[in-house]
Amino acid sequence: MKRLIMGAKAIAEAAVRSGLEAYFGYPITPSSEIMENISVLYGEGKYPWFKVFLQSASEIESVNMLFGAGAAGYVSMTATSGPGLSLMAEGISYAYASEAPFLIIDVNRGGPGLGNVAPEQSDVSFVLNSLGHGGVKPIVLAPHTVQESMEHVHKGFELAFAYRTPVILLTDALIVHMYDTVEWDPPYVVKPKVDWAARGRNYGQRHIINSIYLDPPELKANKERLLQKQKEIEKIAESECFMCDEEMDVLYIAIGISARISKEAVLRLRNEGVKAGLFRPITLSPLDKDGLLKYSSRAKKIVSVEMNEGQLAQEITRIVRRDVEVLPYLGGYIPDVEEVAETWR
Amino acid sequence: MEVKQFSSIFENGVTTYCPGCEHGLLLKFIGMALDELGITEKAIMVGSVGCSTLAYKFLNVDYVQAPHGRAPAVMSAIKLLEKDKVVFAIQGDGDALSIGIAELMHAANRGIPLTIFMYNNMVFGMTGGQMAPTTPEGMKTTTTPFGRDVKQMGPPIDACKVLSAFPQISYLKRVVITPKPIYTKDRVMYSSKEAMDSYKAVLNAFKTQLMGGFSFVEFIGTCNVNWKMTILDSKKYVHDVGVKVYPPGLCRDVYGVDKK
Repeated sequence: MKRLIMGAKAIAEAAVRSGLEAYFGYPITPSSEIMENISVLYGEGKYPWFKVFLQSASEIESVNMLFGAGAAGYVSMTATSGPGLSLMAEGISYAYASEAPFLIIDVNRGGPGLGNVAPEQSDVSFVLNSLGHGGVKPIVLAPHTVQESMEHVHKGFELAFAYRTPVILLTDALIVHMYDTVEWDPPYVVKPKVDWAARGRNYGQRHIINSIYLDPPELKANKERLLQKQKEIEKIAESECFMCDEEMDVLYIAIGISARISKEAVLRLRNEGVKAGLFRPITLSPLDKDGLLKYSSRAKKIVSVEMNEGQLAQEITRIVRRDVEVLPYLGGYIPDVEEVAETWR
Repeated sequence: MEVKQFSSIFENGVTTYCPGCEHGLLLKFIGMALDELGITEKAIMVGSVGCSTLAYKFLNVDYVQAPHGRAPAVMSAIKLLEKDKVVFAIQGDGDALSIGIAELMHAANRGIPLTIFMYNNMVFGMTGGQMAPTTPEGMKTTTTPFGRDVKQMGPPIDACKVLSAFPQISYLKRVVITPKPIYTKDRVMYSSKEAMDSYKAVLNAFKTQLMGGFSFVEFIGTCNVNWKMTILDSKKYVHDVGVKVYPPGLCRDVYGVDKK
């Protein structure tokens, strides 16, 4: 059944129905509505698996609580925004190194610094280029509709446990605050066996969730193991190519709400007879490199539509090794369909 | 005294702490207490950062290594999700009172049943003897080569005073773990009172958690290597100066475990 729902509420619902066991969060605009909705669902007490809801004293506390919950093998989540994500970077690095799974919803706002609370996509470089010290590559998902946000929450839990890694759901103030139609009932996530989790020895082997390896050979071996896992994770790369032909005049590249708006621009250009298409990474990390190379090679021109100074274009250029035009929207402005189409006209 | 088997201490039983350090003693007491209470199999230790990090090598229990100062947050989540388990941490004074004071205070304020053992050696030990929030006035460290200036840095932070402010703490105690040197005519002997007191505090802290309360025990100990003293001088320093700055005593005992 189709229904109209606010992004934040949809995310909260998807999380709880997908088997969320613990939520730890600290209020920050524009993500707070997710926490508020979750607190209602927790208070209603309809979901027996939802054990803990706790408002932490800072994002530093949040991320370490997620780390603790992940280390003990529980499905946990938080929602935050750029300034909070900065504070969480330390904990994400520890969790990545010691393989504790959890999901962080990063609702992008205007940055850097305190910036503003309008939508931007300015955390792209931050989450893609080592989210924390020492080389950290979490899985990053980038939904572009409310329905997809729900699906990605569900998928985020699955991936976090399948690969024992932190997962970031990168979204923005606009998607989280918009009312949109959805038609999806999240199934309950069947959590894989967590025999590695630190829940007490219980007359068996010790469980050690650790990131300290004082001897270089040990640390080297652990890093190589994590890199090997990265290669496995490459296989889940997913993307969508909207109206992509064998030959294209212009290929737009965008994520999140920029992608949704760019789709409209593609349709307008198609009406004018222009062969336009849109490449949209669904998983931002790992990025679908093969798909990107395939579709970009068919286009005369590549335009990256972003709500930042061109952070995604930087990633794209590194892969396609040719000029990528950037259409940047800064400070909380959202892409305009006509302006996007104008980059070709 | 009867010799006990420590199933929660590794068989080789030897720690890699510096000679003269009481960290090993604390670990031994924790192991003994876990065994005595029969909770080794359901214990989860959360590691902090500092010399206390090495504890995971010597206690045969489940282990999660938290970032510097964040152990109370990690512990809180584990305890809330695994209510029937025993969750404890060993933190240093730098870890608990410098970088991690916010996490410690909020965990204490929530009163989640956790046990924190703080080994206070009045310096940052692992990083090479820099000033800690607990460094006494005038003490020379590698970052206060002319002694701690309390006008600039403030007086040393007293964990028991800070934590007394939180009503939901059930057990709050400070003990001296350093054996007191006793000078006889021809040699120096060490008192065993400190060891007995420390063991009792460890035991009672765990008992408090089992009864559903938050427990925090501060152990005043030495770091002779970073204090640049002989082992004997460092032990003497604790009993001459240390106990004046940090007088041992029971600050709170809601369940009355100390009296029993």
